[in-house]
Amino acid sequence: MFDSLKQKLRHVQEKLSANIQIAAIPSETPSPPPPKKEEKTGFTAKVKTLVRDRELILSEKDIDEPLGELEMILLENDVAFPTTETIISALRSDLVGTHRRIGSSVGRVVGDSLRSALRGVLGSGFDLVSFVRNQEKPVKILFTGVNGTGKTTSVAKIAHFLRKEGFSVVIASGDTYRAGAQEQLSTHAQRIDTKVIQHQAGADPTAVIYDAVQYARAHGTDVMLADTAGRFHNRANLMNQLEKIRRVIKPDLVFYVDEAVAGNDAVIRAEEFNRLVGTDAVILTKADMDMKGGAAISIAHTIGKPIAFLGTGQSYDDLKPFSPEALVDELLGEA
Amino acid sequence: MLDTLGSSLKDALKKLAGKTVVDRAAVDELSRDLQRALLQSDVNVKLVLAISQNIRKRALEEEPPKGMGVREHVLRIVYQELVNLVGESAPVDLSPQVILLAGLQGSGKTTTTAKLARFFQRKGLRIGVICADIFRPGAFDQLNTLCAKINIPCYGEKESADAVGITKKGLDLFKQMEVVLIDTQGRHALEDALIEEIIQISRVSQARHRWLVIDAALGQQAADQARRFHEAIGIDGVIVTKMDGTAKGGGALSAVAETRSGIVFIGSGETIEDLERFEPGSFISRLLGMGDLKMLAEKAEEVINPEDVDVNAIMRGRFTLRDMYKQLEALNRMGPLRQLMSMLPMGGMEIPQDAYDVTSTKMARYKVIMDSMTKEELDDPTVISSSRVHRIARGSGATPENVKELLKYHRMMQQALKGMRGSKFNLQRLMKKFGKSQ
Repeated sequence: MFDSLKQKLRHVQEKLSANIQIAAIPSETPSPPPPKKEEKTGFTAKVKTLVRDRELILSEKDIDEPLGELEMILLENDVAFPTTETIISALRSDLVGTHRRIGSSVGRVVGDSLRSALRGVLGSGFDLVSFVRNQEKPVKILFTGVNGTGKTTSVAKIAHFLRKEGFSVVIASGDTYRAGAQEQLSTHAQRIDTKVIQHQAGADPTAVIYDAVQYARAHGTDVMLADTAGRFHNRANLMNQLEKIRRVIKPDLVFYVDEAVAGNDAVIRAEEFNRLVGTDAVILTKADMDMKGGAAISIAHTIGKPIAFLGTGQSYDDLKPFSPEALVDELLGEA
Repeated sequence: MLDTLGSSLKDALKKLAGKTVVDRAAVDELSRDLQRALLQSDVNVKLVLAISQNIRKRALEEEPPKGMGVREHVLRIVYQELVNLVGESAPVDLSPQVILLAGLQGSGKTTTTAKLARFFQRKGLRIGVICADIFRPGAFDQLNTLCAKINIPCYGEKESADAVGITKKGLDLFKQMEVVLIDTQGRHALEDALIEEIIQISRVSQARHRWLVIDAALGQQAADQARRFHEAIGIDGVIVTKMDGTAKGGGALSAVAETRSGIVFIGSGETIEDLERFEPGSFISRLLGMGDLKMLAEKAEEVINPEDVDVNAIMRGRFTLRDMYKQLEALNRMGPLRQLMSMLPMGGMEIPQDAYDVTSTKMARYKVIMDSMTKEELDDPTVISSSRVHRIARGSGATPENVKELLKYHRMMQQALKGMRGSKFNLQRLMKKFGKSQ
């Protein structure tokens, strides 16, 4: 996972460091300038510090090329355009014009900047287990997202995950639209031995989920997971339906599910979903498809919500809690 | 965000307008904006760089043909290069054939299979569908339900674990059928066992076509995935799904470039009828975030009688209730308003969000209300007084509030369209131009 991005980031990091070192050399070579009478004090002072403290001021020119390269790398790895620009400009403003002590570790300077830029856009992580533990039971969790991102599979995986952590779970089969969705969910539920609440096809999803909440109350179930039909964010009616579910059920947590392989559109739809029905945390699926990692970075940056899990395969255990720290460390190497 | 992108491209083009000599700076700017537009649309980074270089070179080196302005010249080059990249629509013939569908998880293979079945059914062919997805729970139920709706036989085995075996049996069963569609399980390039499986299925079925189904939202990953599928079974066509969202489908371009095939169909909605033949012109317009004039013109011709909607009258700002009635009527046939509007070249213009939120039931109600109006009222809504509102409401079984709401909606549309008139775009001239450059 993330391998291509990782290698390329390392490469750019080295290149940036190299450029900075090159930039540093000429400032060292001119030995103390022949004391020309009374020069402007500002200039002399600058040169003095340059030489004495071996400090250097980075100019935009020094880092332009590697930054351009970094931009391409980010884009190639599915980081959305606006997010890429945020990272680049954060890096630029962090590096340019600042006095840097050279010598000790140029690479470190670059690494730190890149790290803080990436952390800035990735946000914090999300701990589902402690969240569930601290909430009043039953904890109502709603899953949203566009078509075919893997909501139903994620519901099953989360149910499996929570049961392993010792919680009892009931699933509401809220996708009453897609043919086969109910069968899919009930088969999953059977395999992981979990109760599913279902109505017939075409039923009002809110009613199904409401019933599941009632069931959870009556049986003292810890968590209710509500699957919903995939919908596009530009369909007013379908989004209204989702809004109605949210209004009636009042979920404690809304998971937005999207696929890690999505490109620039990931940002647009994440934003719309967040605006129309709200999102508390994100699940990124299909991360095993040699994901480029960009979607993770851009979604987290755009809606400012944590990524909770990565879906990494076809079996129920293929669900990894996501940690931004770990991602940054993996991408850039340990600090 | 997308609107600004489209309009920045248009600005760049505008700078070239009226010039007699190609302006290097303007071309550079255009090529930069083009790069941005294509990258935003998920086109492969390397493809983007290559194509923008080509365009820049051609724009600077080629002499514009006599009588053609610089702007038109450059626009034509941009269009040609992009068409070149997208390729023509891959052929679909109606002779007996077996078609195998492959793709990543959740890209929409099953839905597309049903849509394709419907497409061939409407061409009068006999069709059989095989569900070779043995992994995803409910896959067979899904396909079976969809096929049952359109009376097409569907073969699958719920408990089997042998996709190749199912394919064999299905093909035997459907010997008499003219077209056999094979739906497969979602898989990705790194799952070697599954790739091996689809190679087997392809070999056993001797499928004439092997089509790759790609989600319009798929990003830079598209190229790698397509390459692997192509190596495995030789993809000869691409179907782009979920084009009814906001994704631009740039990933499909990478897939086309990798497989050296063409796009066959576009999936653009949730019902079984929502499958369109691929049309390079409209696809490109969408990639660039510029209005799709050609398609709009064609679509309008197809579904509207000439007197139905007088685009020019509307553009002039004369927009009566009668126009709105026709518009609502035509809308049912042309798809949602937003889709229609996105095809019009009006870049930065803002249509109020509320205007889109008119639901189809509301539209039906509006039509009933308008049926209760007199000709005079339809032509000039300003005559509608409070007593007339009550009469209309009684006549149509609606409440006076409904009638007022309708009038408000009309005013809103009128305002929006007036704003459109103010913009510098001349629709007709542009339509002509696009027609010429084809």
